Amino acid sequence: MRGTIDDQATTAVPATQAAGDGTDTPDMATAVGSTTPEAPAALVVRDLGVQYNLRFTKDTRLRKSFRSLLRRDDEDKRFWALRHAEFTVRRGESVGVIGPNGAGKSTLLLALAGIIVPSEGVIEVNGHISTLLSLQAGFDQDLSGEDNIHLAGALLGIPYETMERIAPEIIEFADVGAFIDAPLKTYSSGMRARLGFAIATAVDPDILLLDEVLQTGDEVFREKSRQRIISVLQAAKAVVLVTHDMTWVTEFCTRALLIEDGRVVMDGAPDEVVRTHREHSQARRAARRERIELMRRGEIAIDPKNLPAREEAPRRRRRG
Amino acid sequence: MPEHRSTTLGRVVMVPCLDPMQIASDAPATFRSSADRPGALELLATAAREVSSRRRLIRYLVRAEIKKKGTDTVLGNVWWVLDPLFSLLVYVFVMSIVFARGQPEFGVFLLAAMIPFKWFTGTLSDSVTAVVSQGQLIKQIQFPKIVLPIVSNGAGLVNLGVGMLVLFAIVLVVPEYRPHLTIMVLFVPVIAAIQAVLMLALSMFLSAFTVFYRDIGIVMGHLLRLLFYVAPILWSFEAEMGRGKAIHEAVGPLGFSLLRDNPVAILLESYRKAIYGVPYQQVVPGGEPIAAWRPATFGDMDLVALGLVLGASVLLLVVGTITFKRLEPAFAKVL
Repeated sequence: MRGTIDDQATTAVPATQAAGDGTDTPDMATAVGSTTPEAPAALVVRDLGVQYNLRFTKDTRLRKSFRSLLRRDDEDKRFWALRHAEFTVRRGESVGVIGPNGAGKSTLLLALAGIIVPSEGVIEVNGHISTLLSLQAGFDQDLSGEDNIHLAGALLGIPYETMERIAPEIIEFADVGAFIDAPLKTYSSGMRARLGFAIATAVDPDILLLDEVLQTGDEVFREKSRQRIISVLQAAKAVVLVTHDMTWVTEFCTRALLIEDGRVVMDGAPDEVVRTHREHSQARRAARRERIELMRRGEIAIDPKNLPAREEAPRRRRRG
Repeated sequence: MPEHRSTTLGRVVMVPCLDPMQIASDAPATFRSSADRPGALELLATAAREVSSRRRLIRYLVRAEIKKKGTDTVLGNVWWVLDPLFSLLVYVFVMSIVFARGQPEFGVFLLAAMIPFKWFTGTLSDSVTAVVSQGQLIKQIQFPKIVLPIVSNGAGLVNLGVGMLVLFAIVLVVPEYRPHLTIMVLFVPVIAAIQAVLMLALSMFLSAFTVFYRDIGIVMGHLLRLLFYVAPILWSFEAEMGRGKAIHEAVGPLGFSLLRDNPVAILLESYRKAIYGVPYQQVVPGGEPIAAWRPATFGDMDLVALGLVLGASVLLLVVGTITFKRLEPAFAKVL
């Protein structure tokens, strides 16, 4: 146990050095080069399924839930956000998860992070997981940035001494200036992103899970976070990231997963998966246009149900 | 140390080896699977482990909670002291002047029951939202949710602490109040400890069920308001003004028993005996009986009733913890 903490301390420092100075930038080729198919598995996902029960959502009323209790019509109130997912993430791999909105990407990450329990299947985790799943929230809006760092440490179960040691490094990376003593609610979204990213990566995770977090922030932050992810990979750690930014996937990922309708439909080299995703997206867009045209001509009923989901439009997550 | 270990353990169920030292070694392996449906005892053990390993998290969140309560107001934490003082003034005015009845030294009589009651209502209404208000956090990070109701209870302790300080300051300052202070005051921490267990137990149920039924918050607001009048706070079963006999006639034997023998009433009457003394009706030959009081003795404390409340609370806490742990996996999906 003691050994683990000490390891953390020593590896955490070079990680920032690599991220901190931009002069000797390790390029992606070396990071990728260190990956071999035989590298130890960080995550093994076997027949993973996540089912949501819509009986208890925010818009469920007591009357409704009594009714469903009486009729026992649970079946139509359940749906699989993700099913039969099967893949392995090895150390040193950076896996991009792409797919249309509502396909189950975020659900997959929530399950990997242990935030939701799978309804079927097994997830085997080898190592410490660190997650950055939402930038809107932060941890506590009324506490200062520095207090939030310590709160994050306590939430993640990291010893106080370790947090004390890495706090200056987090503050430096977050680069929020005097705002570090201001309540989190005064932060801009970019500052929040930087602080969140700094915390998530500074705790020296074996597995880093990121959801849609790399789009935020300016060019400088993007470059900084790129360095940081590369240094995480160089330490032979694993990264899984969900994104709509295909450049990230082709540039920084060693592998990509395409998820559609809760199924992993493709698992392979980033550019191939991205190409397939684009083709599918175009096909769906064409199908949507066609349906709209049919509606206009009155050949099918004008009903949102007759429309496939809009592409790339941020849809409010109801079941998050 | 144990705090770090729980990063990997979390609420996840370990399959291969149950020795935490082994798991946290070089390659910690955890498995998450739907197949695991831990039994009640296992859930209880997990809860105990989570709480003991996350003491620092609880401390942080409690501190944040207390800090927040003061930040939105100009007077800040001064309100902790002013709040009981103002409610004292209101009720002393209403009861002694408007209704022209009252126990001698009504201030002590009232505060002895009202401060524990405020602690009770404050903590319970906070714990209703304990889990729901942290929805964002729950969807963002994996941590033992059981700390949340505990945090509400921890932050509520300030309520009791400051209230009691105000009460004892008043008793010491006002000369007429001073005789009420006896050795029996040593019972207060014991009674408070029993109340704390009861509140923690109720918090487990309230915080978990509110995730699925938000209506609980509204219902609780009304129930607690009703309880304020139904519980012996403004009156006492033994005193003239409460008129135990009159209540008995009004609600019948069963209603009377419900009113008098419920845990809240038992606790509040015990506080009153320990802090104020025993109120009673002094018979005046040829006139109306007058309200009086005498210092309580050891024999006045209903230790059997307090023991029963403690036993029931512990049992409720066990069931509540198991219930909370059973429902916990669904929180992130529903919130």
